[in-house]
Amino acid sequence: MKTALLRAGISLAILAFAASAASAETIRIAEHRQARIDALNKVLPAIEKKLGVTIQVVEYPAPEKDYFSKLLTELGAGNAPDLFTANADSDVPDLVQAGYAAPITDAVKAWDGYGQLLDVAKRLSTAPDGQMYQLDTMLGVQQLYYRKDLLDAAGISTAQPKSWAELMDRIHEIKQKTGKFGLLLPAGESWGGGAFSEAFSLFIVGSKTPQLIDADGKLDLNGEGVKDVFGIYSTLVNDGLMPIDPLLGPEPWVIPKYEMFPKGDLIATTCGTWCYIYDWGSQAKIPVPNVTQTVGTWAVPNEDGSGSTVTVGGQNIWVVNAKSADVEMAKKVLLELGSVDTTVAYSANLGNIPARKDAADNADFQKLAELVPVLKDAENGTYLKSGPGFTAVSEGVAKATEAILRKQTDAAGAQKILVDYVKQVLGDDQVK
Amino acid sequence: MATTYEQRIERQNRWLVLPAAVLLVAFVLFPAGTAVWLSLTNTALNGAAALHPRFVGLSNFNRLLNDGDFWNSLWVTFVFVFGSSVVGQFVFGLFSAMALNRPVPLRQFFMAAILLPNAVPEVVAGFIWISMLSGGERSTLSHLVGLVGIPSQEWLQTMPLFMIVMVNTWRGIAFAMILMTSGLAAVPSEVYEAARIDGATDRQIFWRITLPLLRPTIFLYMLVSTVGTIAIFGLVYALTRGGPGNATEIIAIHIYNQSFVAYQLGYGSAVAVIMLGVSMLLGLLYVRVLKVQV
Repeated sequence: MKTALLRAGISLAILAFAASAASAETIRIAEHRQARIDALNKVLPAIEKKLGVTIQVVEYPAPEKDYFSKLLTELGAGNAPDLFTANADSDVPDLVQAGYAAPITDAVKAWDGYGQLLDVAKRLSTAPDGQMYQLDTMLGVQQLYYRKDLLDAAGISTAQPKSWAELMDRIHEIKQKTGKFGLLLPAGESWGGGAFSEAFSLFIVGSKTPQLIDADGKLDLNGEGVKDVFGIYSTLVNDGLMPIDPLLGPEPWVIPKYEMFPKGDLIATTCGTWCYIYDWGSQAKIPVPNVTQTVGTWAVPNEDGSGSTVTVGGQNIWVVNAKSADVEMAKKVLLELGSVDTTVAYSANLGNIPARKDAADNADFQKLAELVPVLKDAENGTYLKSGPGFTAVSEGVAKATEAILRKQTDAAGAQKILVDYVKQVLGDDQVK
Repeated sequence: MATTYEQRIERQNRWLVLPAAVLLVAFVLFPAGTAVWLSLTNTALNGAAALHPRFVGLSNFNRLLNDGDFWNSLWVTFVFVFGSSVVGQFVFGLFSAMALNRPVPLRQFFMAAILLPNAVPEVVAGFIWISMLSGGERSTLSHLVGLVGIPSQEWLQTMPLFMIVMVNTWRGIAFAMILMTSGLAAVPSEVYEAARIDGATDRQIFWRITLPLLRPTIFLYMLVSTVGTIAIFGLVYALTRGGPGNATEIIAIHIYNQSFVAYQLGYGSAVAVIMLGVSMLLGLLYVRVLKVQV
């Protein structure tokens, strides 16, 4: 009897071991927002079949800030998914310093898609030490978006503003002639990282302080350009040129971008390529009819009129978890996420552009008429170089612009709030 | 040596208490101790301090003493606790208990209506009130006050602190009413009869008999309610997220913002340790100075 039981137990153990060995390995991917999750789910079966893995999508709360906070607690605890996205390029240096991001340089450079990556995506994905810890598979091209139809109706020029002064004159004219809010810049603490990545960074690259990190890795936050950018916020708020109340509440982008802009109560705003699809186009709650004809774009002019810029930033910034159970397999999945099919699927849902030259030849991408011309312009975009401590800079900009929104300070005071906060968090020696 | 009966009982009692003690250590003392340790370091969720946190001694505490946001959150918390717990919930709870202690019509209905808010989870309650308070002229509250000629407004923007006090008062009346009801039930009816025979008015009976006899219950309620209200997070976070600006940033939200928004776990823990001390001090105050039998 005892022998029979022992044999049965050993057989069961062997069967269980064989079963576990035969089952596919599971790679967990962190994703948030339904549009992104839907895009990923479209392409997963093909990736699973190609690599012989099971991919589990771990869904996170929707707003970017909440997603990132939850992800960081899991990264700190060591049980985060194998692959995740950073919200902005500026998030990655701190992830690297924290030991959360695995180096992927060799895998990416050996990848057959590497040659198709746009040069700007390669630069964004490469850290100052020459290593790669992120793969920017998609790009967002940010500039100023305006209601061309409403400006034409009011007899206001739609020509590209050449300097900050000319831009502000145009915004004042809009207010005077239409009575509507002229320009929205994401601002305040409720907007999370958007105050920095979707507004501040667009203007700072054309200011007297075009980069915030110097050769020594110190943060140049006392530069005149920083104060001047806060000056734009201050003028917009004090002169009643941008809505304020919605920015002080939760989900501050909903009313101005999803309601006021389509209804014509807000004439211009900073935004990215995603706006043509996600905010005002095919995926929008209140779409703007004929969005590519109705909504025009201006590059952000330089402060001194010396030119203008469109800012390019990563949108699907994939990072491999350094503590993943199988880092090599996670890297393989990462490279599949950079394929044309995957990036075009995200484009259709979110409106960002694939960071690949061969996307232009993809039949599905060509159907996205709003985005095709932007792909060509992406290589000419500029960007703010990021480094360790930029998470604190982003938070500091949110606090500084919050104080401006509440009319508690002026541009110089806002700069002081930013500098004091970053010094408090990172130490006095990190700020130039 | 043979153990005595008392020794055996004592040993048995220790074994009986052991599971509770393990849970207390695991879920209260160990986390509190970890928080105290974290408060002495520069541990962060991101950046270099996440990988190599350093012992920094009391520098987090020094920082918070000079942090205007911390003092603001202390003030907001004080107003929130005093307004909702000490005044609002107590006054309405006592009134409800006394009113429903009599045979009034629809007594069961009123009791259920008062108890219902307490059954609703914090976050759900917050979202219910958002639907009533936001939307300017479209909000339910604006419609109601419009009937008496008060103009509509964005209630959570123009008077956010008053709104969260009001919502928390609404939510906590039930607990106060339950405690006060049990306290009133313990007051012998002969005392009231004797007072009426002596010609005491209702007001005299309330101030000179009811309140003094309710004193232990009231202070027990104050102890539990004050400490519990200091720890509230979900309700206010769902309503306002501590905004607009930091107008409703109670201490729990301040701790959350420092730890999980600014990613400064060490600094957030320092604030949490300060509040642990404040809560313990308040508890001692109620128990020792006011002679509450707990």
